[in-house]
Amino acid sequence: MSATTAGLLVRAATGDDARAFALLAELSEALAVSLDLRRTLPFALQRIADYMEAEAASLFLLDEETAELECKLCIGPIDLRGLRLRRDQGIVGHSLTDKAVIIVADASSDPRVYKRVDEQTGFVTRSLVCVPLTTAKGTIGVLELINKRSGEPFDATDAGILRLLAAPTAMAISNARLANDLVEQQRLKREFDLARRLQKLLLPKRRRAGFPLLAVNLPAHEISGDFYDYFDLPDGRIGFVVGDVAGKGLDAALLMTRAASLLRWAGKDGLAPGEWLRRANEELCQTTHGGRFVCAVVGYYTRATGDVVMAGAGFPPALFYQAGTFAEYRSDGPPLGIVVGQDFHETRLRLGDGALYFFSDGVTDVRKGEGRLGQDGVRALIEHYADASPEVRLRAMISELRQLRLVDDTTLLLLEETRARAAVLLLRQAFPAEAERLRAMRADLRLALDRAGVPADLRDRLVLAVDEACCNIIRHAYAGGSGDIVLSLHRDGDVLEFELRDDAPGVDPERVTPRDLAECRAGGLGVNFIDALMDGWRLQPRAGGVGNVLRMWKRCPAAEETA
Amino acid sequence: MNDIVTERHGSLTLIKLAGEVDLSWSGRVRDAILAALDTDSVGVDLGEVSYIDSSGIAALVEGLQTARDSGRRFVLVATSKPVFAVLELARLDRVFTLVPDLAGVAEAG
Repeated sequence: MSATTAGLLVRAATGDDARAFALLAELSEALAVSLDLRRTLPFALQRIADYMEAEAASLFLLDEETAELECKLCIGPIDLRGLRLRRDQGIVGHSLTDKAVIIVADASSDPRVYKRVDEQTGFVTRSLVCVPLTTAKGTIGVLELINKRSGEPFDATDAGILRLLAAPTAMAISNARLANDLVEQQRLKREFDLARRLQKLLLPKRRRAGFPLLAVNLPAHEISGDFYDYFDLPDGRIGFVVGDVAGKGLDAALLMTRAASLLRWAGKDGLAPGEWLRRANEELCQTTHGGRFVCAVVGYYTRATGDVVMAGAGFPPALFYQAGTFAEYRSDGPPLGIVVGQDFHETRLRLGDGALYFFSDGVTDVRKGEGRLGQDGVRALIEHYADASPEVRLRAMISELRQLRLVDDTTLLLLEETRARAAVLLLRQAFPAEAERLRAMRADLRLALDRAGVPADLRDRLVLAVDEACCNIIRHAYAGGSGDIVLSLHRDGDVLEFELRDDAPGVDPERVTPRDLAECRAGGLGVNFIDALMDGWRLQPRAGGVGNVLRMWKRCPAAEETA
Repeated sequence: MNDIVTERHGSLTLIKLAGEVDLSWSGRVRDAILAALDTDSVGVDLGEVSYIDSSGIAALVEGLQTARDSGRRFVLVATSKPVFAVLELARLDRVFTLVPDLAGVAEAG
């Protein structure tokens, strides 16, 4: 508050101007509690005009888009609402531009005064005073009073009081705008939420364990242009679709909705994949414009024989991983929705114990440091998690992708026959996260591994790795706090899976790194041990910021059963 | 069971450990080693140790470093198979002086 304002306040609060202080208090309160300016502002302006004994008063607000001032409200004989002035027009414009209180004692002799209103209406402007409406974000408008009823010109005292009254007015307008923005944002968010929920409804539900298709879709924005689908045909075949609509945002999402239902409809007829795509292409060409198109792969998997037949339309190559080697299956046809009369050739393969991956280009486009993840990065990811069960593997790959930067919608569909036996639980136990409990945990784990036929050497190493992981949870995750650790051990085919769950605060997996072994010092060895002893591990904070899940796995073929 | 026994053998303090050296008492092991190194050279007998984790290994590493800084000897005596496996894993098996028994301490010295 400037010295003059403070002086005015003191004066206003005491002497003859106690009325001004009362008005200020009244306006401040009325404006502060109301977000409905259509009712409060006219009242405020009227009270200001009355108090200042002005013939007319008006409120101009700055239109950010046109950089013009527009009269939003006025009191007096002439209705100025809708009048637009540039920033250099009239006293109003000058007051805004210079952020200054301007008093004009004799309007007829001041060239800055905007004369047209008087000329058109016959109103005579004798004297006026303008004050800018200032907020933290800058000047948003101007308050103007015209002609004192007494005939005297406005003076410095009038200007001072008007400036005081302008403050709550500016704040009220600013608050109301923020509230409006918020309402608008919430409306948009609600609509996007609805669109996203509708899209999710289009995606098939995850099937129970043992179903050979698994998929994940990570939208880069609120809504996605990617989609996937799978369904059972009466003859036992399983149909699958994965697709990607060019572009992002709402209209890509709408096209995605259309393409997804079209492809599902054609696939459920049991058409051969080439014909399936051909039909979808004809249909999409009729309705897709504006440079939009759809990339997709469709196909069937026959469980009884392990045969896969599929056809692609501009979709990134499918990757088939089997026994440590990759094969690539490229889409033969062009994207859908561009040119009619296209053919789409079919590819066949035998799934066996291999895994067939379909990635939308969002996966290869994921930013990794300066470059992109690319096909090589995707292959490395697949290899790294090859021994984990499909569920764990997909989740681990997705969480790695999340740590990199998604630039596009990202979808991953995996076709893989589940191993002959479902994962078998070998041990589950919960214990308080205290060092004194580790000995008993180790004893139980040793016993469980013995029963599972794990050789003694390997058994001891696995016990060490799990013990080290528990130590880290106790020391670094709980870090003095208390809680439980839940250990479970599964055998999934040839792979032993260890899982440790805690309720400690979420740990950033990036910060858990092994130390350099060449450096001989105490401490920090635990992660090295886990790295060296397990085939792989993955730490993931649980959603909600509380709790972590550490999964570790080790290939260990089950011992030959003796008759 | 877990146990620490300290014996004097001339200018050498022998710290005999038994049981499973883990997070629950590796701090006590560390304190015993560092206290003995204040006045003597130290041997740590690991013959009866059936398990050791990285916090136990860290106590041994700290003993080694302290001994080196103060010009004393620090040897591991009768290292059991499980302990040796973990030393190997940490690539510390060649960093420590390992001797089979007390007679070996003099030779190694």
